[in-house]
Amino acid sequence: MTDADPVNRLLATARGEPVDEPFRVTGVMVQYYYVCKRELWFESRNLEIDRENATVVRGTRVDETAYSDKRENLHLGMISLDLLDDGRVVEVKPSSTLTEPAEMQLSYYLWYLDRVADIQRDGVLAHPRERKREPVELTTERSEKVETAIRGIHDIVNQSSPPPAEEKPFCDSCAYHDFCWC
Amino acid sequence: MDRNYHVFSDGRLERSDDTLRLVPDDDGDKQYIPIENAEAFFLHGQIDFNTRLMSFLNDRTVALHIFGWEDYYAGSVMPKRGQTSGKTVVNQVRAYEDSQHRRQLAAAIVKGSIHNMRTNVVYYNGRDHDLDSVIEDLEAAATRVDESLPIDELMGIEATAKKAYYRSFNQILPSEFQLSQREYNPPPNEINSLISFGNSMVYANCVSAIRATALDPTISYLHEPGERRYSLSLDIADLFKPVLADRVLFRLVNRNQISESDFETELGSCLLNEAGRKTYTKAFEEMLERTVEHPTLNRKVSYQYLMRLEAYKLKKHLLTGEAYDSFQRWW
Repeated sequence: MTDADPVNRLLATARGEPVDEPFRVTGVMVQYYYVCKRELWFESRNLEIDRENATVVRGTRVDETAYSDKRENLHLGMISLDLLDDGRVVEVKPSSTLTEPAEMQLSYYLWYLDRVADIQRDGVLAHPRERKREPVELTTERSEKVETAIRGIHDIVNQSSPPPAEEKPFCDSCAYHDFCWC
Repeated sequence: MDRNYHVFSDGRLERSDDTLRLVPDDDGDKQYIPIENAEAFFLHGQIDFNTRLMSFLNDRTVALHIFGWEDYYAGSVMPKRGQTSGKTVVNQVRAYEDSQHRRQLAAAIVKGSIHNMRTNVVYYNGRDHDLDSVIEDLEAAATRVDESLPIDELMGIEATAKKAYYRSFNQILPSEFQLSQREYNPPPNEINSLISFGNSMVYANCVSAIRATALDPTISYLHEPGERRYSLSLDIADLFKPVLADRVLFRLVNRNQISESDFETELGSCLLNEAGRKTYTKAFEEMLERTVEHPTLNRKVSYQYLMRLEAYKLKKHLLTGEAYDSFQRWW
């Protein structure tokens, strides 16, 4: 069981089946996998982030205020997602600069709902500050991409040290910036 | 940047609505102190406070550092930890238990400490002082630092370096202010008293810096854990004493901003009086606010933040295995 496919291990863990080594992936881990693999490694070790970081504060505020009357928070095993009152899964982001990571985070929620709970839903990626919404559907192609990401995440978090720092355009606003580069 | 506030008078520190109020004992004016952006309060006088104040400081994650009789560091009241990390502490202990790993970290600290002492001496050597022999002694000590040496030998090398370093004080400082020999408990003369006071300021600031991470302040590498309460703070403070405390001392004394009237001398002991402590802490806080371009963060950081970064660096090393290079003044 230990060297089984990470995707199967994740599913078994999520369904509460007995697993030698449970494997969990959160939505934010999927997002970090596409944003920065070093950040993903930090997240997997529960390294604290700087909560006073301006970008973190802004993101939290946007998330807390947008659609607050129409959203229902749903905790489901290893994921925590927001449902709109029309039944779609919504993921709120303060800006659309990093679209692919957000899309994949949402795709992971849809994939998880489908595979773990046998619930088929559509998603919507919302950028309330830009008054933009974007539908996200779980296509076969997206499903495969999600599973590839899960395997990739498994590889990263099982490394004993993080991938080396790599300068990216958004490093300056990252909550791990000083920790990463000091 | 987060600020330190020093309270010298006797009185009462209390919460007043959403801010802090100092009520002096001598019927002076009540003072309101902004809590926003406060990092810590340093209490030098006799201060009363109640649990209501403690909860308030705890919410705002502000620390109290308390100095007792003769201004010895008496202890800190730290905000309840916002962040804890079992993994960090486990790795901290593992590095301590692994004698090779511990020696490696202790050696890095001694190396940084000697480097930062040397930078001060080199600076004054260029200003009409003949300190070549001290520089030679410091360099000799630096070359002896080796990761394979036992901790007490590393400690010995640092002590030798410090002895040579303190020799330079007598040349850097005017003749009426001589160190002759480093002594404390209690400091016998003005310079010893200034060194002790400055070191306790650096130490308390390192306590705050460590607390901002999930590092356990009692697990240390060069100093023996539990030797004093926050021995990790002693490790990190060694790196910053020459950069912060000693530079403030040299400047204040050489510019006659501190004179004999700033001390109280009693039989066998010499301590800063209130005026002297005020002058010193003002200069020290200005030093903390100075900034320098950081080579990898691509921005200017304050000297105070350098202590925080040092705690981050150590934590990163312990969690990731990436190399730890101790802080060595680069400017």
